[in-house]
Amino acid sequence: MKIVVAIKQVPERDAQVRIASNGKWIDEQDLQWAMNEADAYALEEALQLKEKNGGEVIVVSAGPERVGSTIREALAKGADRAIHVVSDDLNTRDSLGVARLLAAAVKLENADLVLSGLQSEDVGLGQTGVIVAELLGLPHASMILHVEKTESGLKIKRELEEGWFQCIELSTPAVLTMQSGGNKLRYATLMGIKKARTKELRAVDAADLGVDAATVVVLEQLSAPKKQKTTHILQGTAKEAAAALVEKLKMEARVL
Amino acid sequence: MMTVILPTLAEPQHFFAWERWLFAILAILSIFGFWLRFGPILKKILQSKKDPDFHLFPIGRRVRDFVWEVMLQAKVIRERPLAGIAHALVFWAFCAFALVTLNHCAVIFGLGFLDPAGRAGRVFFDCAALFAVACAVGILGLGVRRFVVRPRWLGAVSRESGVIALLIFVLMITYLAAFFLPAAGDAAHALWWAHTLTLLAFLPLIPHTKHLHLVLSPFTVFLSRGGFAEIPPLSGDEDFGLVAGKDLTQLVSLQAYSCVECGRCMEHCPANNTGKLLNPKEIVLGLRGYLNEYGPTSEELLLGKYNSQEAAFECTTCGACEFQCPVGIEHVPIIVGLRRGAVNTGAWDDDHGAKLFLALERGSNALGMSPAERDKFVEKNALPIFDGTQEYCLWLGCMGAYDPWGREIVVALVRVMRHLGVSFGVMRKERCTGDPVRRLGNDLLFQQLAEANLEALAQSKIRKIVSICPHCVRTIQEDWKAYGTPPEVEHHSEFLARFASQLPSVQNQERIVFHDPCYLGRYRGVYEEPRRVAALAGDLVEAPRSHERSFCCGAGGGLVFLGEEKGERVSHVRAEELAATGARVVGTACPFCNTMFRDAFSQVSESSPGAPAPELMDIAQIAARGLPESE
Repeated sequence: MKIVVAIKQVPERDAQVRIASNGKWIDEQDLQWAMNEADAYALEEALQLKEKNGGEVIVVSAGPERVGSTIREALAKGADRAIHVVSDDLNTRDSLGVARLLAAAVKLENADLVLSGLQSEDVGLGQTGVIVAELLGLPHASMILHVEKTESGLKIKRELEEGWFQCIELSTPAVLTMQSGGNKLRYATLMGIKKARTKELRAVDAADLGVDAATVVVLEQLSAPKKQKTTHILQGTAKEAAAALVEKLKMEARVL
Repeated sequence: MMTVILPTLAEPQHFFAWERWLFAILAILSIFGFWLRFGPILKKILQSKKDPDFHLFPIGRRVRDFVWEVMLQAKVIRERPLAGIAHALVFWAFCAFALVTLNHCAVIFGLGFLDPAGRAGRVFFDCAALFAVACAVGILGLGVRRFVVRPRWLGAVSRESGVIALLIFVLMITYLAAFFLPAAGDAAHALWWAHTLTLLAFLPLIPHTKHLHLVLSPFTVFLSRGGFAEIPPLSGDEDFGLVAGKDLTQLVSLQAYSCVECGRCMEHCPANNTGKLLNPKEIVLGLRGYLNEYGPTSEELLLGKYNSQEAAFECTTCGACEFQCPVGIEHVPIIVGLRRGAVNTGAWDDDHGAKLFLALERGSNALGMSPAERDKFVEKNALPIFDGTQEYCLWLGCMGAYDPWGREIVVALVRVMRHLGVSFGVMRKERCTGDPVRRLGNDLLFQQLAEANLEALAQSKIRKIVSICPHCVRTIQEDWKAYGTPPEVEHHSEFLARFASQLPSVQNQERIVFHDPCYLGRYRGVYEEPRRVAALAGDLVEAPRSHERSFCCGAGGGLVFLGEEKGERVSHVRAEELAATGARVVGTACPFCNTMFRDAFSQVSESSPGAPAPELMDIAQIAARGLPESE
């Protein structure tokens, strides 16, 4: 089974992001970078499928040079080889633009399965994976927790709302976008890192792939959410106030 | 005077030619028998991988250890006085007997060089007789201990030990008896042969019993790495720690064959004493068994038939075993080496361990909290950011920055530092020093953390660090060395002790028991400084196990981040011991000990609500308690 996993490098979780001076992206200086969490789960699923059924896992990641560290991490965890789509304009491309890069890089692999995370931790549009499927003309499904290979194709488990799951069967080749939490992630090992050095890491760019940077959606401006603090005094008897509090916690704060 | 009291040693004067032949043949057989067993062992040790970090020099430390631990038997005696003295008597008698035995064997060829009737010979033989008496008494004592008292850690009764003890006893008796026989008679002749045959029977028994330590342990002590619980560097691209036989180094193999099975390690091991599988003695003997079966070039995994992964990951790295070992075995590097082998190759699959590793791969601290929480804490307490003008960098550590009780310790230390007028600042950003992952054997993650921290410290031009956590102190000072030059670092107990005279003492004096953290005591040799600080607030009492013999809280070696303990909890055992001293305050000097005991005391007081648990205070909190409220 040949599996391609698309991976994105995002600012480390809890990084303190500041908006860049042009207001159109974040200031990338002093940021630590990490593998997008849902993509890490996609990689884990791919590695487990390979361990069960044999085959090959290829990671593909688009972005500037710094993306190399995340690609090496994926190789260290067990991917067999990697394609780095070198692109310095990732943040000005829309989802379609990024998907075009990835689809072009993936197409030549003729993979049985293409996996990516459900969405990225930075912009969180949740589009790229499904657009790749459209561009490749492959069937796709999203929010997948678990994939199982069957005689005829795949059996997959989707997460629905409110604790419901849906199991469906799908023929291959296919594209799936993975939800976080379906597996236990593995940790990177010294042996893995050493082995990763000898694995193939191929760099291509937009020109090699014949993909232009024309955008359909243009990012106008980034802004931080406004912090606001308000205090409401709930009137009435203790009982009424408690009822009002529960109502507010349910409807406004949405914590119940 | 002795020469007057004691009769002369009877030395047979005439031997037949066939006796010489018989002796020569028996001696050759005996030596051959010894070599038949010892040769393969020596070969296995020499065939093992070279230790990449081994340096014979500076040799002064080695000579000092050799004289102190081998010649003077100081460690043997100090840690177990009664058995130790008995052993020392036997050892010293053996030394004295080297010349006696040589002369004894030379006599049959008419080459005796010590004349029993001569002045020098008389003095020497009489002295040796004294040692022989001491040795006979010593070996009897040890025999009684091994076969009658039978402490748990000596393991199953071994027949071989009995035979060896008997042989030693016979050797001494046959030597002493010769003083009471006429030299010319048949009796002296027969006695000579009795002594000789005992000697020749003893030699081939040495290599395959624990008595191999007679031959090896002087080398083991002399050649040991020296640093306490020092984790050796990995060498080359194929070294992932102790994965298989091919990874065992000469030092490890030498140590494996040197074990004398005395069980001191086991007696003091917190894991073994609370019902866990781990037994440091069996770890070492497991390696020996492995070497005997597979040899030092094998690819067979070390964690398999002879040693288990479960046991290797139950070690708190408290170092009590290594501290106690009388033959120079370094248990901590061996156990951490086995963990490295399992973690660096991905063979260790543990939910809690993986969670810790992933938290540190993706974040900055071992507790898996957001760094923003640290920023809030720094801001709330108006801790200045280190900008190069201050004297100290106050290293918060994961516990000091994120744990509510750890934070209280930091706040107390800050109050004291402000009171003393010492300038300090904290790093804008800090990462875990890598202590838990270092001890759990994750070299990749440890290297990343050490390098990131070293770079940040160098950029901030930090030269002096003070920290509330002995684990941070140890890791910064010793373990980071593999990746750069760390700044000077000290534990807050050392810092506070320096200023103890400027700190007010507390009025209502209470009984305080101080718990020595492993990483401050055994690892750093700091025992008196925290006591000096604790003494500000009360009368110090000592726990039954204190100083070098302190009993671990159970948190070290990354274990605080792992799951449920098997058997009893180490922390509960220690907490009960501390509470039983009757002290009202338990003084700690490590945020991990603190948190372990806090949990333990709440459990203990739940089960016995009558007896209130003692108050738990870090020495920084003790020092701050005497300060005026406004500060």
